[in-house]
Amino acid sequence: MASQEMSQKLFTVSSAPLWHSGRTVRLTMIMTLLALLPAAFMAFFKYGYGAVEVIAWAGLTAVATEFAVQRLMKQKPTGDDFSALVDGVLFAFLLPSTAPIWLVVIGSALTIILGRMVFGGYGGSPVCAPALGWCILTISWPDFMDLNAMLLNWDLVEPLSELKYFGLDAVAAISPVSLLFGDNLGALGASQVLAVILGGVILIGMRHVRWLIPVTFLAGVFVAGLVFNILDPEAYAPPVFHLLTGSTMLAAFFLMPYPSASPSRQIPMMIFGFFGGVLVIIVRSYGIYPDGVPFAILLINLCTPLFEMIAPKPFGGR
Amino acid sequence: MATMMQEFTKGLWKEIPPFRLVLGLCPVLAVTNSAENGLGMGAAVIFVLTLSNVIISLVRKIIPKKVRIVGFIAIAASLVVTVEMLMQAFAYPLYQQLGIFVPLIVVNCIILGRAEGFASKNPPHMALADGLGMGIGFTISLTFIGSIRESLGAGTLFGVDLFGPSFEPFTFMVQAPGAFISLGLILAGMNFFTAWQAKRNGVELDPNFDAGCRGCAACKGLEKIVNQKKLERLESAKS
Repeated sequence: MASQEMSQKLFTVSSAPLWHSGRTVRLTMIMTLLALLPAAFMAFFKYGYGAVEVIAWAGLTAVATEFAVQRLMKQKPTGDDFSALVDGVLFAFLLPSTAPIWLVVIGSALTIILGRMVFGGYGGSPVCAPALGWCILTISWPDFMDLNAMLLNWDLVEPLSELKYFGLDAVAAISPVSLLFGDNLGALGASQVLAVILGGVILIGMRHVRWLIPVTFLAGVFVAGLVFNILDPEAYAPPVFHLLTGSTMLAAFFLMPYPSASPSRQIPMMIFGFFGGVLVIIVRSYGIYPDGVPFAILLINLCTPLFEMIAPKPFGGR
Repeated sequence: MATMMQEFTKGLWKEIPPFRLVLGLCPVLAVTNSAENGLGMGAAVIFVLTLSNVIISLVRKIIPKKVRIVGFIAIAASLVVTVEMLMQAFAYPLYQQLGIFVPLIVVNCIILGRAEGFASKNPPHMALADGLGMGIGFTISLTFIGSIRESLGAGTLFGVDLFGPSFEPFTFMVQAPGAFISLGLILAGMNFFTAWQAKRNGVELDPNFDAGCRGCAACKGLEKIVNQKKLERLESAKS
């Protein structure tokens, strides 16, 4: 076949004695799952068995869907590298803990099919799959994704909806410390801010996630929030509020550094992270949905190929 | 020489737009949020495409080569104005639903593509068969996408309730992203079907055409040119 003939070009990698670094997708994914555990425990303590149920259904559906589609596409099943499980769990972290099972199953299956498999599987996706799943569900069934309406049994409030619908005065009394300890309503895992930060810092410490994207992302949120706040302190919330509400922290440590959808060089990573953060504030301020973090992630994911073009010039090249 | 019947039936499956002949995607994506809109749009396209094909075929020897595109567009534009007025007179609700996309039939690639690729080279009766086949194929496709999107996104088909009151409509499908995703999945399904059919019949698929071009017979004559180009590129890569 001609296509095989064309792909016989050999690329120079390096000179011969090569040493495997020992890093595999599987190890990274297991570490990611462990890093998500604290937040999952916090979610269990706060929301009870509903949270566990949502996580379990999302993870199970993700793995099963991936297996089924890989059978259909005649690919080698890759369920044992846990990447589908991680996608499913991350997706579950963005849902309200009382989400009906059919919603979780449909969303998780769409996350895997439209977020990963249509692009050829893990590593081929140009967008962050869990964020895509959240966006599809939010567009389709806004009532079931409305955190305030879904969590009526709890006495707390969802700060971002309050900000959106009742203005800044409604959230003025909420202290950053209570936000940090997750003392408000929110998506099942994403609102456990302290536990998510803990997991993220562990991942960065073990070098499974590079620190540039999370740090620049948080800096982008902070700077853009500060600019809006300074321009009109009576209409826009302070930057710390934006950092600690919604899924900002989950996005910073787990969704923004999504392997195939983020740049790999330092300067592109910094631009990617920073403008991702700025987009979060813009979407939250002008969008119609209370939390716009996944929309911001999808938008900035689409710009990744542009950022990747910022590359050092080869010596002697033009 | 192909018969009139062959020219007619190729538009129904072998080169069905827009699944095989991926042209005219603007109305395919924009108006198919219900089966009825798809059907109405398709009917308008049948009318314009058939008549423009016949007229262009009739005047194909009169129009000078250099200004032919302008000529084709002028003919298509007059026909579209006719359709627009007919719709305003006899199907006003549908006209309001389709909105800007009726006038936009003028710049629909299928009209110009068939005019340039077929009608300007073939006698009127062949052009009639081609235009009618392509138009009906386009209508079938639009109605198909429209019914998928409407049944999932609104729970209805041609306005008839399908799933009962407990169904929560998958609103995503009737909005803009749903159009892209359903079209993409249908195209993928068509390619999968073509590959499966070729495998079952023991036919080797031409590897020089990628998956999207394999099923379509519209540019079969170009195979030699494409192969030549690929060989040249291979040789230049080797040297």
